[in-house]
Amino acid sequence: MLYIIGLGLGDERDITLKGLEAVSNCHKVYMEAYTSLLSFGLSTDGLSNLEKLYGKTITLADREMVEEKADDILSDSLDADVAFLVVGDPFGATTHTDLVVRAKKMGIEVKIVHNASVMNAIGICGLQLYRYGETVSIPFFTETWRPDSFYEKIQKNQMMGLHTLCLLDIRVKEPSLESLCRGRKLYEPPRYMTINTAIEQLLEIGQAREYPVYTEDTECVGFARLGSEDQMIVAGAMRQLRMIDFGAPLHCLVIIGKTHPLEEEMLDFYRCRD
Amino acid sequence: MVKFTADELRRIMDYKHNIRNMSVIAHVDHGKSTLTDSLVAAAGIIAQEVAGDVRMTDTRADEAERGITIKSTGISLYYEMTDESLKSYKGERQGNEYLINLIDSPGHVDFSSEVTAALRITDGALVVVDCVEGVCVQTETVLRQALGERIRPVLTVNKMDRCFLELQVDGEEAYQTFQRVIENANVIMATYEDPLLGDVQVYPEKGTVAFSAGLHGWAFTLTNFAKMYASKFGVDESKMMERLWGENFFDPATKKWTTKNTGSPTCKRGFVQFCYEPIKQIINTCMNDQKDKLWPMLQKLGVTMKSDEKDLMGKALMKRVMQTWLPASTALLEMMIFHLPSPATAQKYRVENLYEGPLDDAYATAIRNCDPEGPLMLYVSKMIPASDKGRFFAFGRVFSGKVSTGLKVRIMGPNYVPGEKKDLYVKSVQRTVIWMGKKQETVEDVPCGNTVAMVGLDQFITKNATLTNEKEVDAHPIKAMKFSVSPVVRVAVQCKVASDLPKLVEGLKRLAKSDPMVVCTIEESGEHIVAGAGELHLEICLKDLQEDFMGGAEIIKSDPVVSFRETVLERSCRTVMSKSPNKHNRLYMEARPMEDGLAEAIDDGKIGPRDDPKVRSKILSEEYGWDKDLAKKIWCFGPETLGPNMVVDMCKGVQYLNEIKDSVVAGFQWASKEGALAEENMRAICFEVCDVVLHADAIHRGGGQIIPTARRVFYASQLTAKPRLLEPVYLVEIQAPEQALGGIYSVLNQKRGHVFEEMQRPGTPLYNIKAYLPVIESFGFSSTLRAATSGQAFPQCVFDHWDMMSSDPMEAGSQAAQLVCDIRKRKGLKEQMTPLSEFEDKL
Repeated sequence: MLYIIGLGLGDERDITLKGLEAVSNCHKVYMEAYTSLLSFGLSTDGLSNLEKLYGKTITLADREMVEEKADDILSDSLDADVAFLVVGDPFGATTHTDLVVRAKKMGIEVKIVHNASVMNAIGICGLQLYRYGETVSIPFFTETWRPDSFYEKIQKNQMMGLHTLCLLDIRVKEPSLESLCRGRKLYEPPRYMTINTAIEQLLEIGQAREYPVYTEDTECVGFARLGSEDQMIVAGAMRQLRMIDFGAPLHCLVIIGKTHPLEEEMLDFYRCRD
Repeated sequence: MVKFTADELRRIMDYKHNIRNMSVIAHVDHGKSTLTDSLVAAAGIIAQEVAGDVRMTDTRADEAERGITIKSTGISLYYEMTDESLKSYKGERQGNEYLINLIDSPGHVDFSSEVTAALRITDGALVVVDCVEGVCVQTETVLRQALGERIRPVLTVNKMDRCFLELQVDGEEAYQTFQRVIENANVIMATYEDPLLGDVQVYPEKGTVAFSAGLHGWAFTLTNFAKMYASKFGVDESKMMERLWGENFFDPATKKWTTKNTGSPTCKRGFVQFCYEPIKQIINTCMNDQKDKLWPMLQKLGVTMKSDEKDLMGKALMKRVMQTWLPASTALLEMMIFHLPSPATAQKYRVENLYEGPLDDAYATAIRNCDPEGPLMLYVSKMIPASDKGRFFAFGRVFSGKVSTGLKVRIMGPNYVPGEKKDLYVKSVQRTVIWMGKKQETVEDVPCGNTVAMVGLDQFITKNATLTNEKEVDAHPIKAMKFSVSPVVRVAVQCKVASDLPKLVEGLKRLAKSDPMVVCTIEESGEHIVAGAGELHLEICLKDLQEDFMGGAEIIKSDPVVSFRETVLERSCRTVMSKSPNKHNRLYMEARPMEDGLAEAIDDGKIGPRDDPKVRSKILSEEYGWDKDLAKKIWCFGPETLGPNMVVDMCKGVQYLNEIKDSVVAGFQWASKEGALAEENMRAICFEVCDVVLHADAIHRGGGQIIPTARRVFYASQLTAKPRLLEPVYLVEIQAPEQALGGIYSVLNQKRGHVFEEMQRPGTPLYNIKAYLPVIESFGFSSTLRAATSGQAFPQCVFDHWDMMSSDPMEAGSQAAQLVCDIRKRKGLKEQMTPLSEFEDKL
């Protein structure tokens, strides 16, 4: 049996009761550590906190393990219970669909334990979840790779008056492009995109268009460390948010579409005043 | 006794119409260096008496020992023309003083990269051909190279002394031989029709062909004789010159010129009557010590000998007399000054070949006008080891502006891309130097049109570079040189004492700098590889490495190894697919062999990444039968962005395709460099991207996902398209007398070679054999051949083409499979090839 268990967004104690029970019954516990990270994930003893609470040894599964060596995880779960811990909700990060598909094909039973995800936690700013359009990711630009396809999606959302959730790039144990071309893997230092960088990149792409759907004055909401004790939420124009230091990762950004009066009232609590 | 000083030279450097930059090129052993000596002697650097024996430009001990030139050497000569001789010169000039920057280059094919480097910085070439051996394979190669660079040639038929002393042929026979030599050279030149360069063929009657005896230091052009006889016959010089060549006969009995041999015994060809016979007469008189007859003859010719020279006997006397009568330097230098272009003339048409940027920008204009006030444009064509070990002079040509001591220059390396910072340095020139054979003279600055050596830049230039002023950020570099040979022979080197490793690493770096062609790399397995053009080239490189660049530390070298190429025989048997690590991206691809000749066209730079897409698609559709629209969809070439493999986009209506293009290209550069069989370069494979499925979100289709996937799908499509190995094949040219032929054939058979041409050289007992020989069989070929023919056959090997090995490397036990296995073992890879299933994903 393969349990895919959501851990939520805050700290180790955000795990659901059902999830905790599953973990304690499992033979082996893996933790996915690249599509997101718990707020305590950055501290050196983050994992051991988890281990203390759950009373299990946890194997850290990085990108390579999940993407290229998933068979090990799956073959373990053929005849024993294996837990696969995922920050947020199991289906918040797309890559895990593949794991489920493969498990099912191998005849392994899969159980999902849901939890909060950034996709629903952003509700806290007051913008209704019903009114969000397609979610986009903003990747780190490099010298040569400057994908701008997110612009078209934002454009569509804006035209329909919908809000856009922008997830910001995280690079944990990513092989550097140069090393990929040479065939050996050298890893870049971990990087997390800040709201400031994201806005720079958004504006760079927007300014290249004749009639950009967003400008410096477009209203947005910036989130940092959503779901944890010291989360930070600020609403304001891109121009304003660009100047604010949101502190430690993770960050995400919502571009506001057409608002309902009640949404406005709620946003006012977070509005940045200067 | 040096006739001129550095100051004098520097002064003429400003007269751009009075400069001639020229190289001396020829087949090995046709007498370039010896001839060069006569020219150097005229400039007063070495004594006239020893000219022909010193080989001034062979500066290395091993060059002197082997009697061949290995490195090209530059030398600046000062020459003053008389008013009399310049009377008929029509071009622009400033005074009678001339500066000749001469580069002597090696003739052996293994060193032809040195020739390439020499040609780049010169405007004219003196082609030396042995009058007996005639036009040989290397003559042809260097001529092609020269004309490709828009270098104007003049010809000298050398080793005339052999006709008189060794072969003793009569006048008419000699004429026929010379005529044939010139014709053969003209046939090659005629294939290079170039409207800007004009007619490049050479004609004795126009003064563009000289006849010389380098060893004895004499030479003449028909001009010399025409001057002598013009007054006698009362016709002008040019008319006289025409009479001295071709179908013009003179009968002293009737004193009449005819265009046919009248059959009378006294009727002889003009050339024979007036040029060949007088020389023959003088030589014979000298050799027979008939001094009583000699002095009156000399007096009639206006030749006066010094009294001490009159005591000489035999050969020494003959040499001295001929040198005084027909000094080689006068004839050759006058020919160069009259018929080779000055930098000011040459750069007008060479700019197109040289400059990479737009031809109407400030830099192109400055090069075109050879403008000393314009921005600096300087091309460093080679690095010359300096006397203090480990340092190098950067040697090159100033095309515009001036380079001076202390000047801050922008160094654009071969990988520099305008607007980027890669391979770009700004540094100061410590010293500018001009080269005079064995010694160097420091000068304050060097203006355009000249060659120059610079100190202090060696750390920033690997092999070549373009230099410009610090502030000229918009300048494009000068085009990279195209070599006619490729480094197909490799050896692995290691040091005997492990603690010498740092010396080896540093030594290899220096070796790579010192030779334009050699490639030094480190294999995955940690082996250090040195790759060169042939056995001899490698031998010299390794000797340099050990003696000059490693301070004599001992090295061990492996047996020579040949590089192979990987190609495909057919189109992939099915469309293959690979998934990205996150399984959300899928690439579909097929591989197919390129059309015949296309890979070669890419090698030659006829088709490449920098072409105008319209021009490229025209060539591809007209010559190779491509679909016009398809030709516009070439994504890239590889390896190294220039190689003879490509990726073509065949997808229809895939969104965001351009976002992953760079990643696919990066994966392709990697895959085409290290093919799936044995990690050898790929060749002549065209990859077609058939379809692409991408994740909706940009983050999930970044380089980390696509690059490895692209690489896998390239390999999968290669493996499904009947992969084959290509082996390099030499063209061997062998000259030998008839009795040696049997030996040659048996050695060639033994070595898997096959003869495709056998021809007797007209007028000689020599045979000329052309054959193909796999490079891998060529090690020790020369010595085996020499042994089998008692030293009568001399082969010249030059890389010719890649030949497909018919056996299937995927079939266990085949010859190709064994080769693949050996290569993998040597490279430290798994002996078994990675199976297709590792690269291809199934739905």
